[in-house]
Formats: sequence, C-alpha cells, structure tokens
Amino acid sequence: MEAEPKIRVLMVSDFFFPNFGGVENHIYYLSQCLLKLGHKVVVMTHAYGNRTGVRYMTGGLKVYYVPWRPFVMQTTFPTVYATLPIVRTILKRERITVVHGHQAFSTLCHEALMHARTMGYRVVFTDHSLYGFADVGSIHMNKVLQFSLADIDQAICVSHTSKENTVLRSGLPQAKVYMIPNAVDTAMFKPASVRPSADHVITIVVISRLVYRKGADLLVEVIPQVCRLHPNVRFVVGGDGPKHVRLEEMREKHSLQDRVEMLGAVPHSRVRSVLVTGHIFLNSSLTEAFCIAILEAASCGLLTVSTRVGGVPEVLPDDMVVLAEPDPDDMVRAIQKAISILPSINPEEMHNRMKKLYSWQDVAKRTEIVYDRALKCSNRSLLERLSRFLSCGAWAGKVFCMVMIIDYLLWRLLQLLQPDDDIEEAPDINFINDKK
Amino acid sequence: MDKNLTEDSSSPPPPRPKWRKVAYGGMQTGYDDNYTDETFLDEMVMNANVVRRDLLKVMKDSISISQYLSIVALVVLVWFHTLQSSLDENSLLLLDLSLLALGFLVLLLTEEKMLSLTLLLRYLTNITFFTTGLYILAPVYQTLTRSISSDSIWAVTVSLLMLHLFLHDYSGTTIRAPGALKSPSLTSCISVNASVVASVFVASRLNSRGHVFGVMLFSLQVFLFAPLVSYCIKKFSFGLHLVFSFGLLGLTLYAVYVVHRLLFVLFLVVVVVVNVVCPYWLIRMQEFKFEINGPWDEAKLCFDITD
Repeated sequence: MEAEPKIRVLMVSDFFFPNFGGVENHIYYLSQCLLKLGHKVVVMTHAYGNRTGVRYMTGGLKVYYVPWRPFVMQTTFPTVYATLPIVRTILKRERITVVHGHQAFSTLCHEALMHARTMGYRVVFTDHSLYGFADVGSIHMNKVLQFSLADIDQAICVSHTSKENTVLRSGLPQAKVYMIPNAVDTAMFKPASVRPSADHVITIVVISRLVYRKGADLLVEVIPQVCRLHPNVRFVVGGDGPKHVRLEEMREKHSLQDRVEMLGAVPHSRVRSVLVTGHIFLNSSLTEAFCIAILEAASCGLLTVSTRVGGVPEVLPDDMVVLAEPDPDDMVRAIQKAISILPSINPEEMHNRMKKLYSWQDVAKRTEIVYDRALKCSNRSLLERLSRFLSCGAWAGKVFCMVMIIDYLLWRLLQLLQPDDDIEEAPDINFINDKK
Repeated sequence: MDKNLTEDSSSPPPPRPKWRKVAYGGMQTGYDDNYTDETFLDEMVMNANVVRRDLLKVMKDSISISQYLSIVALVVLVWFHTLQSSLDENSLLLLDLSLLALGFLVLLLTEEKMLSLTLLLRYLTNITFFTTGLYILAPVYQTLTRSISSDSIWAVTVSLLMLHLFLHDYSGTTIRAPGALKSPSLTSCISVNASVVASVFVASRLNSRGHVFGVMLFSLQVFLFAPLVSYCIKKFSFGLHLVFSFGLLGLTLYAVYVVHRLLFVLFLVVVVVVNVVCPYWLIRMQEFKFEINGPWDEAKLCFDITD
C-alpha cells in the first residue's frame, strides 16, 4: 500500500469539461497539480449530454458526472435538498476531508457546500467572477453567496479586485479570503518558432465570445477606426455569439472584408494556432475578474491591449500590456501605442518571463496552504453555526436558519436509512506513483 | 523586475518589500495570500451617482401622475353616465369629435413639423379606417359578454383599470410619433392593452349599437392618445402642462363631487397622497440610499448601441 494521500479534496462545480472556460480550466489544472503533490482529488459536476457516471481523466483524476440535467447556462436546477444523498455518498465513498466549491453561480456548488457543512466537513470556496451591487440579479446572487459563505472555512479569489468584491458581497472577514490567481499552461502556449514579420502587416487578434459583456460593441467601434489610421493592420476575430452579426455588418459597412477575418468559434485546442499568427492581442471585456485569455496571449508572445476593468490591471506587468479605458477613442490610442512599441517586443523572451510569473504548480502549492488552514479550523456545533446565519439579515437570517435546520434533519434521517458504515469506500489508486 | 504599481503603503517592517496589488509572480515574499493591505477597498466609491432631489421638483414631476389619474377618472365618469343613460348617443359622438379635433389641434400646435397636405390626408385616412372598423365591430362588442354576469365584468374591469394605472408609463408615451427612436417597454404595452380590454368590457354592457360605438371610440381615443397629447404639451411648455393638469384636476373633482361625496373624498385623498405624501416619503427615504461602486463594476459604454 502506498502512502496515504495527504488531503482528500472534492472539487464541486457545475462547470467542468467537456464544457470550456476559465473555471473548467482552473479546476482541471489545479486538480492535476494537487494530484502530483500527493493529494487525492475527486471532481463532482453535473451530467453533460450522455456523459454521466464516473470517469477517470489524466493522472487518475476521478470525475463524478452526477445525473442531473443542466437548467440554464449550464447550471443545475436549484432544488436545495435533492442533492444531499448523492453528495453524502460521494463524500463517504471517497473519504473526503475538504470540499472545494467553484464559481458563485453554480447551484450545484452552493448545495454541495451547504450539505458538506451540515455534515461537518471543511469547506473552501473559490469565486471566479465579479458582481455589481445594483441590479436585481446581483442583489439576489449576493444574498445566496452570503448564505453560502456565512459558515465557510476559507475563501479564495482570483485577483485582488475580486477579493475586495467578494468581501463586500459576502461580509466575510478579510483574513479568510485568499488571493490566488489563475495560471496558464505555458507549455501549451509557446510562441511560433518563426514569428510572422511585423514589417508589412501587423495582425491584431481578438478571441472572445462575441457578447455584450466581452465588449463586442467596443470592437465594432474600434476596428474601423484602427483600419482607417493604419493601412497595414489587419484583424483576426475568433469567437461566436449574439454580436457576430454586428461585427459582420461593421465589416460590410466599412468594406473591410479583406482586412478583418472572422473565424467563428475557435475550439480551445486551436487557440494557440490562431494566437501565434498575430502580433497584438486585443481584449475588450467590460468586466473581468482575471482574464486567462490575456495570459494565453502573453505566453504566446503577443503584446496585449486591454480595457482597464476589474482585475485586468493586476494580471500582467506594465511593460507587457497596454491598458485603456473602455471607450473607443482611448482604445484606439492604446492600440497605436502598442503598434509603436511592437518592435521592442521579443516573443521568446516574453514567453520565458510568463513561465516565471505564472504556473499551476505555484497555484496548487498556495491552495494547499489554504486547505491546511481550513483543516486547522475548529469544528463548530450546529447551534454555533446557526448564530452566524441569523446575523445574515432580519428576514434572510431566519430563512437561512430554517434551511440549515431542515438540512440537518434530513441528514440525520439519511443516516438512519443508510448508516455511514453501509457506504462502501472506494479504493485509492495512485496512478502517478504506479508509473514510477 | 517591474515597476511599482501601488501608490502608497505607509510603513511595513523594513526588510519586507512593499506589497503590490498584482496577481503575477507567485506569492509575494513576506506576505501571505490572505494579506490585506491598507489600500484595501481604496477604490470603492459610495453613493457616487445618487441624485439629491428637492421636494418641489418631485412634487412638480408627480403632477403628471395626478393628471393621468384625473383623465382615467373622467373616462370612468363618462362610462358611468352612459350606463345611466344620462348621456345620449348624439352628445357622446359630439364629445368624441370635439376631443379628436382638440387633440389633433394640440399635436399640430406643439409639433415643430409643418403640416403638409399629404400628411393631413394620411391622418384623415387613418382616422377613417379606425372609426369604420370600430363601427363595423360595434355589434360584436355589444354581444361579446352577454353570457357573463355583470358582477364579473365590473370586477374584471376595475382590476384591469388598476393594472393599467400601475403599469402606465407616466413619464413618456406608449403611442409614439412615427419615427421615434426607442420602442415602448413591455409594461407600458401591457398597460395599454389592459385599458383597451376594460373599455371593451364596459362597452359590452350597453344597450344600443350607437352607444357601444360612441363609448368605444371615446375610451380608445383617450387611452391611446391622451398620454401622447399630454406628453406633447409637457414638452412644449411646463407652465402650460401645469395649467392643463390643474384644469383637468378641478374638472374631475367637480364631476366626481356631483356624482358621489365619498368618491370625491377618496379621489381627493389619492391626489394628495400622490402629490404630497409620496414625494415627501421619497425625499425622506433618500437618506437610506446606499450605493457601492468600484473597479469590479461592469463598464458602461459611452455610446449608443443601435441593433
């Protein structure tokens, strides 16, 4: 028998592969690196299409695709209690010690965190996005988050701005919130061996979903202006979405068909091959907690031009990125500045710097510290925990307490129906050590 | 390796390098990941966009609400008198015609556009189509709800009118001049529809075809075009808007007083609440306004998107 895994983590989120995005990437790479550090990691997500049941991924990462259908935007229908039995079974089967939930709008994550706390497990939560305080959606979302985080052991945010945001939204003490950024797999995003020459044509790459929040409307204003000012610039736009039509219209209106190439949706495996054809990466997001796309571009040796929103200013050193206010004129100015400093950029050197600045191993090591601290937290009784929920608000506090009490009772009932000892424990298979 | 990003952090112990608000470069030496700097939440702004209102302005603005309340009350009074048969067909039609002419005149006088013969012709054909259609449909309306008891009809009508008043767009107009930029909101469309259905229900309780036609024409005219007319007046001159509103209010108070004392008191109370109590309340509640903005907010675009 090999050495016992140090920490046994269950990652819970609605967002995991085969879906693609920042959260999915984060969970996958973090899990891989934690496995390499000798911990046990299990992922729980909802079913994707006909992909249900248990799957194993690289490095023996075990993934439970819980047979729960997504409802809107890939999240499961909120049922509050319906996930209790399966969460309990997985926690027991895998002898989990820490439950780590991801993303504020994943209902599965919130439910699993609640059940895990009821059963006395240590809970960690990572917030990957920013929320405002004014609109109806955010107000409700923030209340749910407050409930979910009221009794959490530690929380992680992906940037300092995100930490400020999370502390304000959930009312957590600042010392409980850690800042651990995303990272980039620099081995996957290498610059092209032969860099396309920037003497004749400068290529600006945009890869993002073409939606309002990603600033597709800014692109519509910026692209024609830049094309008019610089006859040697061409654009490559990757991504699809509701604003695709607007971009097409812009291209036709200004007769830029030969200078603006629209690629449509670009699968993540092809992102690098698109990035390396360009010199400048343009990010026009209106809100962004971290923005992994910038890291990928910088790792490929592209100079980044980005809007100064959310956590973006923290992501790269000043000399690797040109920031602009999210208005078309300032962005055009920033692109002009980027074009002027382009000759001094060496992609290979940039790539090597990125290797030093970001790595998933570093992220995993820092997350490990958070787990250790979470495990050191003292276990609290139900009554102590209820008092925390009660302080969440005049009405909400009472509702939250009711929810938790019912959850506790259901858990006790489940223990009667199926005692803990009846749940079979899954054997640990250590893929990494077996290979040696 | 890089320039310092943060502006200030007064005096951490000398050996420690300054903490920087950056995400790159791994864990900062000497600082835990849960370290909170003094600059934490420095960029947070509270109540930046709060508009301080004064009582008089709010009261002036609320006049439009009481103006529309009196318009609706007048429509209900006309319905009442028609149902009581104290208003005969001819005077009803005369009322319709004079309202139509008056409204048209107001629109002409307040609009900057010059009247051309073709435009007048177009308006005339539209009105002809509208009235002809209504006249042809009048018998249908008359028998529409015969199988339903009057009580249900009154109950539904009252609730529809309530819905209409709640969802009505008091600041603008649902029916817009041709070529207007913004399309009306969903709630104001629901409001207009509720009022039209209410008028159909009331008309269906009348005995003669002529009455049905007269009442339908009257209510549709008022519900569809009165907001447009009052909007044009308001845009033209605020003083005229005040005079018009107070005139309507006085007329309504008198008409209600003649019909029923209690209703008069009720209407007066509603007007006072809308114009005095609610504005005062709003001003008082301003103190509780608490708005947070910061770098996490979604950036707003500084130009209009025309899809």
